[in-house]
Formats: sequence, C-alpha cells, structure tokens
Amino acid sequence: MLSNDKVSPEPGDPVAERADLLQGTLDLLILKALMLGPLHGWGISKRLRQLSADAFEVGQGSLYPALYRLEDQGWISAHWATSPEGRRAKFYTLTRDGRKQFIAERSEWRLFSGAMELVLKAV
Amino acid sequence: MTHWLTRLARRFRALVHGAALDQELADEIQLHVRLETEDLIRTRGLDPMEARRQALLAFGGVERHRADQRDARGVRWIEESFGDFRFALRVLLKSPGYTIPAVLVLGLGIGATTAVFSGVHTVLGHLPYPKDEQLVRIFEQNSPTNRWTLSVTDFQAIAGQAHTLSAVGAVRGRSAPVSAGSEPQTTAVALVTSGFMHALGVRPALGRLIEPSDEPRGAPLVVVVSDGFARRSLGGADHALGRSIMIDGSAHTVIAVLPRGLDRLAGIRSDLWTNLQLDPPTRRGPFGLFVIGRMADGVSLETCRRDLAGVSLRLQGLWSDFPDRDARLTPYSLRTTMLGDTGRTLGLFGAAVLLVLLIAVANVASLTLVRATGRWRELSLRAALGATRVRLVRLVMVECVALAAAGAVLGLALGAGGLRLLVRIGPFIPRLEEARLDIQATLFAIVVALAAGMVVGAYPLLLLLRRDLDASHSGGDRTVGGGRRAQAVRGAFVIGEFALALPLLAVAALLLNSFLRLQRVDPGFAVEPVATPRVSLPAARYGDAAALRAFWNQMLPALGEIGGVTHVGLGDALPPNANQTNNQNNFDLIAHPVGDGRPQPVSSWITVARDYFAALGVPLLDGRAFTPGDTGSAPPVVVVSRAWASHYFPGEPVVGQQMIEGGCTECPRTTIVGVVGDVRYDGLTLPGEAIYAPMEEGNWGRTVHLFVRTRHTGTDALPAVRTTLLGFDPGVSVDQAEAMRDVFSESITQPRHLMTLLGGFAVAALVLAAVGIFGLLSYAVAARRREIGVRMALGADRRAVVRMIVGGGLWYAAVGATIGLAVALVGTRWLAESLFDVSPTDPATLLAATLALLGVALVACWLPARRAAATDPVRALRSET
Repeated sequence: MLSNDKVSPEPGDPVAERADLLQGTLDLLILKALMLGPLHGWGISKRLRQLSADAFEVGQGSLYPALYRLEDQGWISAHWATSPEGRRAKFYTLTRDGRKQFIAERSEWRLFSGAMELVLKAV
Repeated sequence: MTHWLTRLARRFRALVHGAALDQELADEIQLHVRLETEDLIRTRGLDPMEARRQALLAFGGVERHRADQRDARGVRWIEESFGDFRFALRVLLKSPGYTIPAVLVLGLGIGATTAVFSGVHTVLGHLPYPKDEQLVRIFEQNSPTNRWTLSVTDFQAIAGQAHTLSAVGAVRGRSAPVSAGSEPQTTAVALVTSGFMHALGVRPALGRLIEPSDEPRGAPLVVVVSDGFARRSLGGADHALGRSIMIDGSAHTVIAVLPRGLDRLAGIRSDLWTNLQLDPPTRRGPFGLFVIGRMADGVSLETCRRDLAGVSLRLQGLWSDFPDRDARLTPYSLRTTMLGDTGRTLGLFGAAVLLVLLIAVANVASLTLVRATGRWRELSLRAALGATRVRLVRLVMVECVALAAAGAVLGLALGAGGLRLLVRIGPFIPRLEEARLDIQATLFAIVVALAAGMVVGAYPLLLLLRRDLDASHSGGDRTVGGGRRAQAVRGAFVIGEFALALPLLAVAALLLNSFLRLQRVDPGFAVEPVATPRVSLPAARYGDAAALRAFWNQMLPALGEIGGVTHVGLGDALPPNANQTNNQNNFDLIAHPVGDGRPQPVSSWITVARDYFAALGVPLLDGRAFTPGDTGSAPPVVVVSRAWASHYFPGEPVVGQQMIEGGCTECPRTTIVGVVGDVRYDGLTLPGEAIYAPMEEGNWGRTVHLFVRTRHTGTDALPAVRTTLLGFDPGVSVDQAEAMRDVFSESITQPRHLMTLLGGFAVAALVLAAVGIFGLLSYAVAARRREIGVRMALGADRRAVVRMIVGGGLWYAAVGATIGLAVALVGTRWLAESLFDVSPTDPATLLAATLALLGVALVACWLPARRAAATDPVRALRSET
C-alpha cells in the first residue's frame, strides 16, 4: 500500500500550506500527470507541483515505488530516452490499460469527493 | 488478461537481474537529484551546494528508498530468504558442537528411513511387467489354507477353456547339469510353455521367444538365456544366438537373450528358459506345474475365479482318479503370491526404523532447545534493534530448514549405502535387490527431513510467538532455555525416547531369544561328520529309472569303499530347509480313510537309498529300515517318522498299517514297515512329520544329495567322491560339496539376519536414548552448579548429590520405560509368527530388555552426576558472584 508519511513538508520550507496526500491518491495523480504525455520521474513530481499550485509535494520516496508498482500493473510503461535537458532518463508513458484505469479512478474519486463535499456542506 | 504472464516475467527478471535493476534505479535517482538541484538553483537562486543538500533532503534516504523500490518489485522476500539461508549456514557452521551431532543424528535417521522406504516401495510396488494387475498365478485349492500346484490336465484345460485369460503359461523348474563347452555344472533350469513369457509381456533383448511351435514333443530343443549367463558363459550377448548349450545331456539352441537385469521371471530365478514339451495326460495328477495367466482387459479377479471354478467342475466330471471334490482352480494376484508374508517383515522394519527416526528427531529437538537458550539473547537483541517478529520466526525456520537440508543430503548418502546393506545382510525378501534410491525415495527423504526440521524448530518457534522478547531480554539465559518449562519439555522428550526405545529393544530381545532357542533345536540328524554334495545326472543318458538304478547300484558301493567313509546314502531332500513343494504327496490311510470327495492328508515324502538313515544318524525306533529287497517288484513299503506316527496313529501300533499313495486307487497298497526319529525338513521350527520311500522302488531322482559320513570331518572324502563319480561318467555334475554343519548354519541365516538388523535398530535407539538423557542431565548439572555448591557447602555429601542427580534422571527413564513396556506388550503380538518357542509377551525377555534399558540409563545418568559430585563448593559459589 502506498504510504504517505514521506510527503510531510521539510522544516523551514517557504511553502507553508501543503496538503498531505490522501491514501491511494498518488497513483491517480501520476496517471493524470502522464495523461499529458511521457515524463521522467522528476518531471512527474515537477508537473504535480505545478498542477496543484505547489500544494502537492510528492515525496520522491513514494514516487519511485509507485512508478514501479504502476509499471508492474501494466498501466504505465518505461523506456530510456534523452530528456529535454539533454540527459538520458527513464521516461514513463501511459498505456491503454493505464488510460482506462485513470478514467475509472477519476470517476471514483469524483464520486467520493462530491460526496465528501455534500457531507461537509450540510448544516 | 494475460498480464500476469508479463508480470511473472518481470518478477523473474527482477530476481535474476537484481543488480542491473539496482543500477538503473541508482541512475534514475541520481538524475532526479541533479534535476532537482538545477531547478532549485534556477527558481530560488540557491547556491549549488545548498541546492544539492535540499534536493537530497527532499528525496529522503537513498538506501532506504532503494529497499522500498525492491520491495515493490515483489522479490524482496526471496532475496531476504537467500540472505537468511546464508546467515543460517554461517550460524550453524559457527557452532559445530550443535550442528555436527544434530546433522549426524538426523542424517542417520533419515538415511535409515529412506533405505527402508525404498525397499518397501519396491517390494510392495508394481512388478516390472506391463499391466501387472492383470497377472495371476493359478493354484489348486481345497481349503482357505491349502493350495498347491497344477497338473498337466489342469493346465491344458485352462489353456483351452478359460476365456477370461488372454494368455496362460506353465513352468516346471529343475536342477540339471548344464555345460556351455565346459565342465557341467548343476544349474537351475526353467522349462516353460510359450504362454509364460507372453503372459508376462517380456520382450527379448535379442532373438525370439519360445513359440507354440516349440511345444510339441519332438520339436527342436531351444533355450532363452539371461543376459548374465550370456556374458558369463557365452562370451557376451552378441555371441549367444545360435550357440548350443548342453542341458541335461541334450543340445539346446540359444534363440534369445533376455534384457539385462531380468534374471527372474514371476519370481522364479533362472538363467535358462527352455521349451517345456508336455505329453498328453493319462490321469488328473500328478501336480507340480507353476501356472500363471494374464486376465483379458476388463476382467476382474472374481470373474476369472468363477470362470476357473467352472473349468474345475468340468475336469471333475472327466477324471475320476482325483477324488477331491473341494479342489478348485483358483487365481491369485501374481504380485500377492510373490510377496508372500514379506509384508509382515517389511512392516516390522518400517515400524523399527520409524521408531529410530522419532527418537533421533526427539534428540535433535532437545538439543535445539538447549541451543535456543544461547540464542535467546541474540534474538532479543535483534528484536530490540527493530527486527520484526515475522523476520525472527523466519530466521529460526530457515535455520531448521538448513539443518534439515544437511540432514537430507547426509541421509540420502547414507540411505544409498543402507539400502545396499539391507539387501546384503537383511533377511531374504523377494525383489528387494531391485530397490534403488529413486526420485520417489529422494522426495521421501526431503519430506521426512522437512518434517523433522519443523519438529526440531517447533519449540523455539512457539517461544518466539508466545513470549515477549523485550521482557526476557533482561532475564538472560536462565529464564528460557534453562527455565523450568524448557527443562520440562526436554524431560518429556527423554521420556518419549525411552518409551520408543523399549519396544524396539523388546523386539530385538525376543528375536534373540527365539534365535538362541532355534540354534538349540535338535534337527533330528547328526550335523557332523557328514558331507552332502549334490549330484545331477544328465537326462539324455539317464532318462529312465533303470539307467539311474544301474548308475547308483554301481556307484554307491564304490563310494563306500573310499577310505574313511563309514556310510553312504542318497536322498532327494536336504534338511533342514528342504524345498517342500517337490517332496510332498497325499495319502489315504486304510485304517482311517477320509471318505469320498474329501481332501486327503499331505505329508513330506522323502525318497532315499542305501544307508540314508545311518549316514544322517537318524535312529530306527520301531520295525525295520529299508532292505535291498524293497524293489519295484516287491509290495511297496514306507518308513514314517515318529511325529508322523503320533499324529496319524496316536497310541496305536504303526508298523503294519497300510495306505493308498497319491490318490492312486489301482496301485497296490503301501505298508508302513518302520518308524525312525524326526528329521526337520521344513525348517527347524516345524515338527519333522515325514514319510520315506525307497528309491529302489523306481523313484530315482536325477538330481539328488549324497550323504557321506566319514570318520573325520565329512568333507575329507569329497575329492575322492568327486573323482569316483566323474571317473565313471564325466557328464555328471557334482556341486554344493558342503559339510552338513555349513548347511545347518546356512539354514538359520534368515532369522539371524532379521535379528541382526533389528538388533542394530535397537542399539541405535538405545544409544540415542542414552545420549538424550545424558544431555538433559549434563545441562541440568551445569545449570544447578551453584545450588549443588550450596548444598555441599551446607554439608551434603557427594553420595547424596549423586543420588539426587541419578534419581532425577532415572525417574524420566522409568516413566518412559513404563510407557514403552505397555506399548511393547500390545505391539509385540505382531511378532508372534517370527518367533520360535517364545511368547511375544515372554515376561523374562521383556524384563531383560527393560533392565538393559534402565542399566544404560543409569550409566548415562551417573556420568553427569559424578561431575556434579566433583563440584568444588567454593569455586561454584564464587564463579557466579
């Protein structure tokens, strides 16, 4: 199972408000990041930071095991290529199964978060 | 989804290319840190050193990270197990004082068990013939316990009428002089019909088998030889076909060589298989054919039995000379008949070896328990340093498995040797020599080893699972291994060992007692100074009784002339283990007829000539012995043994009584003319009921035993005997030129082997049990050194200390022995049939076994007790302060 204890912010970090990743959400986030195209590991963490306006700091300690697990599930595939920075890097691409999985997980998440919202809004 | 396949492939790659993947991951991490560093420099304007520090911080521990990654690969547990295994081996090698005895004891136990398992597996397993469940042996049977061989009439009726059998074959065995261009030697020859090998499904390595065209009288004589014979006597299988072998004085052409290793067929051992040519029968008897058949596909034994019963009824209508209406042709599974009563012997072995194994495992378990004490601190420390309980349990388990694996390897090596030993020194068991340490035996050894390993590790594991490691950490050694509960468990092991050892010891003692009694049995004949060479005359020149009579009437007086020879006789049975089947006949007493259609009594029927009784030292008790006047032209006479006389004529005069021989109602009645002492022909355990008939009446055998009595050793005259016989006819074969003394000691080989083997198991059990109690007390003495020191300082004398230690140890032994005695009293009943003249619950023997066990226990207890008594109170008290 994905553990999120490594996501806590570093002490003295300038960005104070950071969300702890919910259990199980990292996979969905990675899949989402890769929906936009192949990325290497650092690229994924960077994009997630951008997309969440620096709210999600993906602990790299969680990132690589998650990547490996997703690859093992067959949702993403990996290959070595040259990065835009001009270095050899391992790039991760969403597979067809991964795409399906993303859509399924996204709708699940929406259901869940919508329900959460409803409950919290209730007076 | 076939996705799992890819996943499996990836797992495999992860396992095999773990190092390459680690490198890939290292590269990936390195890149990540570098990109992060650059990004920090660019976006926040940090200096490179600080940026790198923060990047690394953000990343977390790189090593830790790698382990997580490996975990995600799903092979971490395998990698760790390898690590544990390596670690276990290292730990085991570092404490040879524990490992060597443990592996040795386990290996011995596993080896012995595996050897016996292979034997049992082979002997009780399938016969080496295709579809062996279809093979049957057919008997004549008239009561649940009385069955015998078939006659030519029976065989031909079955071959012609039994539709449930797809093939039928007959064998007649005999010993005959055989020569392949060298001096003739008496060899077992089997005469078979074509159906015999076809029924078995045997295929020759070379040539063709005996066919129906070889069966009519007058067809050329042919022989199928074993591979061994071809190599020994014909210069190899390639040179065998077409060669001529003189068998019984007639030339036989070799037509086939059997595959290597096939030196017995349907349990009959023979190197030569010739074509049996049967004459059309003139009456129902005589019997003597060994007949086997193959049931047609889909036929059950019951169907076959009904079919053959029908054949029996038709035969009774056709032939009136054999009046037994109860006799039925009855099929038995060939496998069952070949097995005989070996199931019991094997069961005995199996039980014995299992007991030894259990004692061995108990011993090692006890040893492991002691060791757990020393390990406890280490394990607690590991727990304190963060090892999870699962990890510790696995560590202990892997250690046990490593121990078991070493035991299995040693056990397999010992098992291979043990199997050879079993074949060599064990009692004869059909097919045992075929036993090999095959895949199944190997698997068996592995399973036994793993089970043993689990038992050995069970208690330490239980402690690990139940106890709080942290709590016991402070307590140190004493609280666990030396603790009361562990000692109690070890005590239970010791009690168990003694309870298991006693039945084994009892069995060995009973067999020893039985064997000693067997040796003292009066065989009924003088063992010295008699020699008993076997003489075979070739059938070609000695085809009828007249020729045989002429030979022996010339030779017997000539042999009597040899210097030193006092008596010479001939007999067709060699006591004390004569082959009973060839020397039996039925009879009907005129004074006590059995009545029409009832089975007649059967007795050993020995034909003898000249001074047989005098040469063997058999006393004449009543009437007369045979005289030269008892010939074929005189009325037939017999001499009976005392046991026979008191069985059939209790309290009545026997001499002068008459009988009808062999169901031959037209033959003249036979008169009993004398009574002689009992000779045990059917083994030393059976009474010597026998009827003797003179060879002079026409019952000359072509293969007989000479009984030569001399003034000195018996064998001193043998060279002259041989020269005399061969000088008269060089085609005569003389062999088995042994002294009666050797024949006699050979006859008790079987019980001696059984006794030796079980004695060996018993000694092993005894030693293991002694070692067990010795170890327990040694440990207790070491742990109680301080207490003993205090006692002695307070005035306890050395004898009191010895009494205390020995008494404590003997208590375990006595409890174990009591339980074992109860088991033995029930279990040895099983042994009854292997015992002679000893009750399976013979009190004296069981008492002796118990005392022997307790005596050994006493010694094993006394040694540590003496050490305890030698404790110097001052030093003992000082050492622990």
